[in-house]
Amino acid sequence: MVATGVRVEYQEELDRLEESSLGGLDLVSAALSRTLEAIEHQDVELAQIVVADDDRIDGRYLEVHQALITLLATQSPVATDLRLISALLHVLKNVERMGDQCVNICKMIPLTGNEPPADEEMVKMILAMGGQTKALISQAKRAFADRDVELARDLVVQDDAVDDLNRECFRHALQIGDDADRREWAMTMLLAARAIERIGDNAVDIGEQVAFVVTGLFREFEDASHPSV
Amino acid sequence: MPATGAAEPETEMARAETQSQSQLPPTAVGDGGPRAVAAGRRAKTIETRDVNLFYGDFHAVADVTMTVEPNKVTALIGSSGCGKTTFLRSLNRMHELTAGARVEGEITLDGQDVYARGVDPVAVRRLVGMVFQQPNPFPTMSIYDNVAAGLDLNVGRVKKAEKDEVVERSLRGAHLWEEVKDRLDRPGSGLSGGQQQRLCIARAIAVEPEVLLMDEPCSALDPVATLAIEDLIGELKSKYTIAIVTHNMQQASRASDITAFFNLEETGKPGRLIEIGPTEKIFTSPSQQATEDYVSGRFG
Repeated sequence: MVATGVRVEYQEELDRLEESSLGGLDLVSAALSRTLEAIEHQDVELAQIVVADDDRIDGRYLEVHQALITLLATQSPVATDLRLISALLHVLKNVERMGDQCVNICKMIPLTGNEPPADEEMVKMILAMGGQTKALISQAKRAFADRDVELARDLVVQDDAVDDLNRECFRHALQIGDDADRREWAMTMLLAARAIERIGDNAVDIGEQVAFVVTGLFREFEDASHPSV
Repeated sequence: MPATGAAEPETEMARAETQSQSQLPPTAVGDGGPRAVAAGRRAKTIETRDVNLFYGDFHAVADVTMTVEPNKVTALIGSSGCGKTTFLRSLNRMHELTAGARVEGEITLDGQDVYARGVDPVAVRRLVGMVFQQPNPFPTMSIYDNVAAGLDLNVGRVKKAEKDEVVERSLRGAHLWEEVKDRLDRPGSGLSGGQQQRLCIARAIAVEPEVLLMDEPCSALDPVATLAIEDLIGELKSKYTIAIVTHNMQQASRASDITAFFNLEETGKPGRLIEIGPTEKIFTSPSQQATEDYVSGRFG
């Protein structure tokens, strides 16, 4: 007995805001691709483009955030709509944080000079992390759009691979040798790996919001302060 | 419900009350009576089992089984014609005041069947008071007499000092005392709409009922008066069991602890209870799609 024509504009606006929020993940994915390319080729200029382009992600955050607050104030959303809006506010924050992590990495790239990367092996690991994280971002977006809780839960499994690579990077950096420049480069790359790992965590957080929208219950998929293993 | 129509059942009730005072079965009367000071007491529970309500051949409400819990506010929501007001009126036997109206099933007040043979409907209505959509103070009576009216009718002669005390306590309970204490002898009809509604609440609580039923008590009031009534409802639940019919979703979500959603499949079919649960659950994650559609405003 749902009437057609009831609250159509509100529904359309809510749909549009969901699309815009999830579209932020595409912006992040593109920023991460450029970030990885900048790491691979020690491309300082490309890194600067990523930093400048983050304004677009921040702008998306501000615009959609404001529109969601307006919907809350004017439309009194409840039930699924309310959960969706709450989740989208979280997703926006995650998107904004992911963009900032790309910026953090890109700001470090000039610090390592204009020389080619010091260690091919470590670059490969970071690129593998980045590739896996891009897949996480895409999976988070699909899980949200499809309200697919199973796909959302699987993000934890996929994120484990990113975490493993991050630890491997750390072990590798410890054995990078005594050369001061190489050590400094490796330290910077460790920070980059850490930033990528955090982007993966944000993707998992989005998965948790999917479960909240669908079930009405918020539970962390994994509790970092009380790990089960 | 128009103002005149709303006033009618209550005056009819009041008349009936004076006539049938002697028939009150002792079991149906509250322990303390109107003189008992109630503060944070446990009010009574209303339980309904398979309640079906009819107007002649028309089956208005079908198979309602639910509990109106003590010291909580239960909101009854649903689109027009879904039977929520009819159901509310069955709880204090006001439904039967309509010609041809009929009740099937069981309605109990703390386990006692309010429709059992020998139970005086007037006694039930004293324990289960009602506040209507349109404020309906007795227009020619003073503010004081409006509040004391129920007392006179239910208890008979009461000493002036005692009556003063009940009137003041009831007006304070209804958050009206400070506004009217200097003009108690003025007509109740001279008050604003919000004040009149609080006067009606004061009149209802003067006889210290166990349950207060409210049928869209704020629909004729402005937002400020509405919030004043909602605040009052929030306080009254420490003493009474409250059931409120409202079309205002925000009011249901603000003012109630439990929400019951009524719906009818199509026009002409009886209304049914679709879902009842904690208000926060109904408004954040209802379990029925029909509830979701209604509270989200997507209902035709």
